[in-house]
Amino acid sequence: SSAAPISPAETISQAYSLALYMQKNTSMLLQTYLQYQGSPFSDPGFSAPELQLSSLPPATAFFKTWRALDDGERLSLAQGAFLALTQHLQLVKDDQSDLNPGSPILLAQLGTARLRAQGLLGNMAAIMTALGLPMPPEEDTLGLVAFGASAFERKCRGYVVTREYGHWTDRAVRDLALLKAKYPA
Amino acid sequence: MPAGRRGPAAQSARRPPPLLPLLLLCVLGAPQAGSGADTAVISPQDPTLLIGSSLLATCSVHGDPPGATAEGLYWTLNGRRLPPELSRVLNASTLALALANLNGSRQQSGDNLVCHARDGSILAGSCLYVGLPPEKPVNISCWSKNMKDLTCRWTPGAHGETFLHTNYSLKYKLRWYGQDNTCEEYHTVGPHSCHIPKDLALFTPYEIWVEATNRLGSARSDVLTLDILDVVTTDPPPDVHVSRVGGLEDQLSVRWVSPPALKDFLFQAKYQIRYRVEDSVDWKVVDDVSNQTSCRLAGLKPGTVYFVQVRCNPFGIYGSKKAGIWSEWSHPTAASTPRSERSGPGGGACEPRGGEPSSGPVRRELKQFLGWLKKHAYCSNLSFRLYDQWRAWMQKSHKTRNQDEGILPSGRRGTARGPAR
Repeated sequence: SSAAPISPAETISQAYSLALYMQKNTSMLLQTYLQYQGSPFSDPGFSAPELQLSSLPPATAFFKTWRALDDGERLSLAQGAFLALTQHLQLVKDDQSDLNPGSPILLAQLGTARLRAQGLLGNMAAIMTALGLPMPPEEDTLGLVAFGASAFERKCRGYVVTREYGHWTDRAVRDLALLKAKYPA
Repeated sequence: MPAGRRGPAAQSARRPPPLLPLLLLCVLGAPQAGSGADTAVISPQDPTLLIGSSLLATCSVHGDPPGATAEGLYWTLNGRRLPPELSRVLNASTLALALANLNGSRQQSGDNLVCHARDGSILAGSCLYVGLPPEKPVNISCWSKNMKDLTCRWTPGAHGETFLHTNYSLKYKLRWYGQDNTCEEYHTVGPHSCHIPKDLALFTPYEIWVEATNRLGSARSDVLTLDILDVVTTDPPPDVHVSRVGGLEDQLSVRWVSPPALKDFLFQAKYQIRYRVEDSVDWKVVDDVSNQTSCRLAGLKPGTVYFVQVRCNPFGIYGSKKAGIWSEWSHPTAASTPRSERSGPGGGACEPRGGEPSSGPVRRELKQFLGWLKKHAYCSNLSFRLYDQWRAWMQKSHKTRNQDEGILPSGRRGTARGPAR
């Protein structure tokens, strides 16, 4: 590459700051989303861990496994997740414009979450470059899943996406903290 | 997709299978190794129903491993568990539900009817849309700003809620020609409004109506026919200045400029002025100010701050026979009357500049002038009575007024002198 080399420490620090900033708003996004879907979603303390999306990678992992990942794998998994999240957040926003047409606050928050996820993707790509690691290929994570879902399925889907967005942001903060410690400024 | 991307449990099926089961697997408990989760389907999906109607629904379970039963399943609607007597086990794997006399949907995204497993987890759901078809929208009113655009407002059909999301579409067309057009900029002045920014013809009637649509049907308002020129409004007059009239403690002079956007057409503009005392909410209105750009307010309280506003009506623009629509009021302009001992009753009309011999304000003004004269000129014996005598003489001898300017009954010329009491 012809550009001047960026220090890994700088790119990691930036990504870490962004992830921390995102973390502050993830639970608000989930709560706002649930409010608009009606009961039982909007009930206080609603939680349905049985609802999952196979097109979104799970954020939780066994601690030992997670700790033992090398830098490339660690970042690659996070990138894959946030790429999937940007695509799913767009899908959820489209679903909600249909299900809840008069809800500019929710739609704005979904849009913002998606933009931030894209930003984080960019920052992680910068880290990969700075560390001399190969970039994982971009993929269409949604495939056939999206179309034709019923209203209830779409409500559930949005819940899983906003929930997992929170989980992956928490994980990104931990991933980047590890990297930050490894590549101090 | 590369297996490394996922966590421990990989989803195997990748060929495009029938859509519905795939969606269910994706959304509802995609089997992860060892969990043996059941999946289910509710029928009907997303039904739309009239308020008061009944619904028969079923929840069919497909177990993994197969053989899952409908035992232990239960229904909730909007988070509340439904009484067991409404449910019935149809066969080993199907639970039925009979709902009657449904109420209108609680939220626009639909009521959540959910089929739960024994442990409370969500197996499947269906959104119910219960409501009423829309009523005819009414009370369409429109106005054009400076003949350039058209904004319309309407009221949804009266009797309260439809419980379903209702979409409104404002349509318009030239009365005698052309296709229907749809307005595109909504909610410009409230929830039921739309703005047509351009491409409007003058001197020819338009037909305008509103269509309301929801899942249960649609309704159309009556057609409103209008010519843009009959509903013109304009900006409030700019540059409103309020100032004192010399030392007069009960008058203020208001000046403004004709709204520039229509300045070439405003031959018959009408204006209205309103004013109030600083800490009052009661406005006094001066009506029927035609074709002027100034007005003198009289009968005001001395030493008081007044707020003044002006608005404009482009009456009879381009020969339209109708009154236009009043503009917004201009920003309030404030001014204060000078302090003095005297005060007077309220006004209601503009005071003429010239000073005809009318009662009230002019007499007061004259009194002040005479008072000043007494102090500052050698006219110690001036009085109001002298003035009244002069007026009476003026009226009697109006025929000879032009010849005998300044001659008083006593025959002297010039200003009044000498004893007059």
